[in-house]
Amino acid sequence: MSELHWMAANAAAAAIASREVSPVELVKALLDRIERLDPRLNAFLHVDAEAALKEARATEAEAAKGRLRGALHGVPVGIKDIIDVTGLPTTCHSKIFENNVAARTDAECVARLRAAGAIILGKLSTHEFAIGGPSFDLPWPPARNPWNRDHHPGGSSSGSGSGLAAGFFPMALGTDTGGSVRNPASACAIVGTKPTYGLVSRRGVFPLAFTLDHVGPMTRTVADNALMLGVLAGHDPLDPGSVLLPQSCDYMKTLEHGVRGLRIGFVRHFHEVDMPADPEVVAGLDRVALTLQSEGADLIDVRLSALQDFAAVNRVILQSEAWSIHSEWLRNRPGDYGRLARRRLMSGAFIDAGDYVLASRQRSQMIGEVEAALREVDILLCASSMDPACRIDEPEEIVRTYMRQARTPFNVTGHPALAMPTGLSRDGLPLSVQFVGRYFDEANLFRVARTWERAACTDALHPPLVE
Amino acid sequence: MDERMVDAIARRAGLERALGEFPDDVAAAAISAAKATEGIRQSSGMEPLSEPWPPMVVIRK
Repeated sequence: MSELHWMAANAAAAAIASREVSPVELVKALLDRIERLDPRLNAFLHVDAEAALKEARATEAEAAKGRLRGALHGVPVGIKDIIDVTGLPTTCHSKIFENNVAARTDAECVARLRAAGAIILGKLSTHEFAIGGPSFDLPWPPARNPWNRDHHPGGSSSGSGSGLAAGFFPMALGTDTGGSVRNPASACAIVGTKPTYGLVSRRGVFPLAFTLDHVGPMTRTVADNALMLGVLAGHDPLDPGSVLLPQSCDYMKTLEHGVRGLRIGFVRHFHEVDMPADPEVVAGLDRVALTLQSEGADLIDVRLSALQDFAAVNRVILQSEAWSIHSEWLRNRPGDYGRLARRRLMSGAFIDAGDYVLASRQRSQMIGEVEAALREVDILLCASSMDPACRIDEPEEIVRTYMRQARTPFNVTGHPALAMPTGLSRDGLPLSVQFVGRYFDEANLFRVARTWERAACTDALHPPLVE
Repeated sequence: MDERMVDAIARRAGLERALGEFPDDVAAAAISAAKATEGIRQSSGMEPLSEPWPPMVVIRK
């Protein structure tokens, strides 16, 4: 079979189960592609080729006997390097952890993927401690965007986005505290979901800000995202933020149900007033809205707080909580951080307790406001990034465009949010949209996303990589 | 926030080393924090009753 590297995870799992594709053949094809292309993209910090091939042989032998571990039997996955994988050091892309010892256990999310049969290909590039990047002053270079390697791939789950778009693996794990799953999804034309807060365990994941951190699935298709989240979701008594689930997590059942009768709230003021978006981003959002309407959804305008207000709450809480984690190292080893992470993490030292409480109060109000909106509509539609990804070597432009996004509101409120492509700009860079759902209603989120994907064939978008 | 205030808060937070080695980064961190907290204060208008503490939950055994 040609082009194994573009094979979707659910297609690969089915082909492995029916023995049309061998996990060994698949892993070898991906390792070969990684070896040829990753030196120019830096998606990986560490490729665990030997262990991946060993697992591939084991899953192949099991498949031959008709024994499948789970829904992802033999399917390769990449792991953002703030997430523990047994036997590998977690570096957080930082000199602070450059010589970290190997993790003794898998993070819960990794354990769930393994139990479902997934094969870990290696550890992926991130912004330093999921906050400082893209940076050129770290022990490893930053990941680049396969659509144009002079541009950044979004972050902080930058290796996850870059590697998916490059065809290095069909699934990756990312984390999202201020938009870090959805930003690379937007920049690289892939699908990234920040699930409802508490749906996926964070145990074994290096924290950035406890009350804003989420682990999320990143894939090239909506179906793969739904499949992967179904594997990841579930209660973990050892993660204090984890919830006992009120319902089943089989998101595949309703995936193809379409949007007829769904009420979709379009939050236009985010990209029209609060942070006026690039005209090509606006055109993409309008195309999505019109398409969903033509598929039978009711479109309603929705108004929320200004993006700047959400962003301020997110930053005060994030910086305060991150300072509580990093303060000892910032006091004793400030030179071991890259410049961006050092600046961003030290900010917490200058936020007083009263401001943190004020931000928490405002957060409660914002949760109430989004909840009220989601009583009137089933799904919110809004921008993700206001601009296509800028050049990676223009720090001022990166700072300016990183702030121009509508992702942080849903870290503040904990609602599930999915980012995916709307198409490409005239310059060939990905444009994006974001859908937001009610708490634990990821099923409807995937339904809407799948309807758009089917109409626009966004899953067929692959970068023209020169090999 | 003036320079002396930044210096005092940084020292209180134990950031003497960063002040010595990366004074520009300390100043940038202070500016970033000030911008974030200014956004909170301007948009808040909070009632004192709106406490963020969640209600207690009875655990059923």
